[in-house]
Amino acid sequence: MNVQEVLQSRLLLVTGKGGTGKTTLSATVGRLSAQRGRRTVICEVDTFRPALTAVVGKKPGYAPTTVGPNLDICNVTWREALVEWLGDTVPGKRIVKAILDNRVVQPFLEATPGLRETVILSRIVKLCDQYEQVVVDMPASGHAVSLLGVPGVAMNLMRAGPIRERALQIKARLARRDTALVIVALPEEMVVNETVELWERLHKEVPSLRLPMVALNRSAVPSLSEGERALLDRLESDPELTEDPLAHELLVAGRWEAGLEQATAEALKRLRSELDVNVVHFSRLGALGGYDGGPERIVQQLAAALARQELAEQQA
Amino acid sequence: MNIQQLLAKKDLIICVGSGGVGKTTTAAAIGLQAARDGRKVLVLTIDPAKRLANSLGLKRFGNDETRIDLSPLPDAKGELWAMMLDNQKTFDDLIEKLSPDEQSRANILSNRIYRATADNISGSQDYMATEKLYDVVNSERYDLVVLDTPPVKNALDFLEAPGRLARFLDKRVMKWFLQPYDEGRVFGKLLMGTSAVVFRLLGYIFGREFLAELAEYFHHFRDLYEGFAARHQAVVDLFGDGRTAFLIVSAPNGPSLEVAEFFLAELGRRGMHNPGLIVNQRHVTESGPLKAKAVLGARSAALSEDLPPHTGGQLLARLGAAHRRLRELSAVEDGLVAGVVRGMARGQSVWSVPRLEEDVHDLPSLGRIGEHLCTPPEVVGSRP
Repeated sequence: MNVQEVLQSRLLLVTGKGGTGKTTLSATVGRLSAQRGRRTVICEVDTFRPALTAVVGKKPGYAPTTVGPNLDICNVTWREALVEWLGDTVPGKRIVKAILDNRVVQPFLEATPGLRETVILSRIVKLCDQYEQVVVDMPASGHAVSLLGVPGVAMNLMRAGPIRERALQIKARLARRDTALVIVALPEEMVVNETVELWERLHKEVPSLRLPMVALNRSAVPSLSEGERALLDRLESDPELTEDPLAHELLVAGRWEAGLEQATAEALKRLRSELDVNVVHFSRLGALGGYDGGPERIVQQLAAALARQELAEQQA
Repeated sequence: MNIQQLLAKKDLIICVGSGGVGKTTTAAAIGLQAARDGRKVLVLTIDPAKRLANSLGLKRFGNDETRIDLSPLPDAKGELWAMMLDNQKTFDDLIEKLSPDEQSRANILSNRIYRATADNISGSQDYMATEKLYDVVNSERYDLVVLDTPPVKNALDFLEAPGRLARFLDKRVMKWFLQPYDEGRVFGKLLMGTSAVVFRLLGYIFGREFLAELAEYFHHFRDLYEGFAARHQAVVDLFGDGRTAFLIVSAPNGPSLEVAEFFLAELGRRGMHNPGLIVNQRHVTESGPLKAKAVLGARSAALSEDLPPHTGGQLLARLGAAHRRLRELSAVEDGLVAGVVRGMARGQSVWSVPRLEEDVHDLPSLGRIGEHLCTPPEVVGSRP
């Protein structure tokens, strides 16, 4: 019941190599949950140019903005998270203001190892109490590992105090059964390698974290029959066609699609055997990248595909 | 500008762009091209795919400069060297270099906070890349250094990395924070006014023990401040130097081109030399719409006699559909790139590299990318 685990999670962390479609998948899950009546927020993590803007059409701020029924978006920026965290930790607004107005404290706080990550995660954990689902569009691979690994580091460094307590809360939240991680991948050898490595590192850093699903975007499901494949090979090596530029164009296009199908099959096989995880593949839409239909259509189609997967899982 | 002219003129090329666009591969291909043209080149990379690293004989740790065997490319006149950045090692080396004596070096290296910061906290990788860069450029062992920048979450992080560390070591901050430490007082007890309040709070927030350790950490670093500040300035100067060029690398899709546009604007604003943009992984078609049956029908019929019935017709239908999709995709990509070009300055170039069917993991395939980069680019403001 892996897709279900993803859809029903309270806290969903979405990561993967850059350019694989993390933001789009985050928006897809968020949209689907909202449609089903769960109060949902999609968060970006301290991004300067929120990618969500392109997908959802609105720029997320620190305070959640409503973009549809049951659906909010926000950007967990570190300075605002720090202010909120100080407000929660330190008694009295005047004292918080004194700290923040102090010219030398700002760079000090910026330089204090682990503080940035801790306050960001702390805000995300807090959002889990206000929403039924929090979908986090995490930073790419390595940055995600350091972000999620920091509570552990902070706990080793600080033996007492509010940061340690906060780090403990974060660790507890990450270990809950309703917290899930999704890694987004593409059917390309390099991306598959990085996905396998990423999970190894994350699992080492945060052993309690669950990975119910890997999303393989832009897949091409194998559809060439054996006979068609044989004929394609013959046409490619046919001496009568080598000089024909139009034949060449068609055969290049055919080889390109056959290559995508083969890459998809290999990626599925490797991810399933090496990660022992459910891999859900999403077909490429429109002109491969799928930018023709606009982000709205992509999210709708992906959401429909995800719902179909869930249904198939329930019937199995 | 022709890429070979650019490579011959510059001492340092920095590849920037979003993740997943082939930045590492591009940096390696550029380095290889310059080496083929006779220069002694170092490619400084962050985290290449394992297979590329293995096939080039790169070691994953230790900051070793490895010479790449170019014998598979007999036309190569120069040398290609590569180094993978080891964060912790770079930081340790830096401390060693800047420490005034053996004792302060040992103090820093054994500090728990230092051990946690150097490798685990985000941002240190960006800083270390610039640090190592300064080192190798200054060694003057190479004619050209090509830097593959780390995947940045905030596109600006990389350009600002040296500034952040220098700011943290700001003298005022140090003085303020270390005053009670230097005077041997217990935090917060004898201080007056706002500082007293703030210190008490910091003690409460972080725990006294951690704060004491942090003070020790800063205290050790204080001796290094001058060195850090000087190196920061040197790296900033290096970025703005006439012999340095920034190349933006992108894939032909919306999100990564958006990051490219951002870099175009930022580099322009900062007055850094940016000859243009490399668009990787482009899908290319050369003909108009095709009818597969008309082009291939006869040969397909002749070659499929022993295959199951309808195989020929089915394959031709697929080929036609595949070609339509490829043309559609190529048109979408052209439109996206044209949108970026409209915002570029006159004289900047756009280099296009077609998508290669194979995974790029050895010298010959890197060489092919280099050859694509050598074809004349589209130059903004000039008629083709």
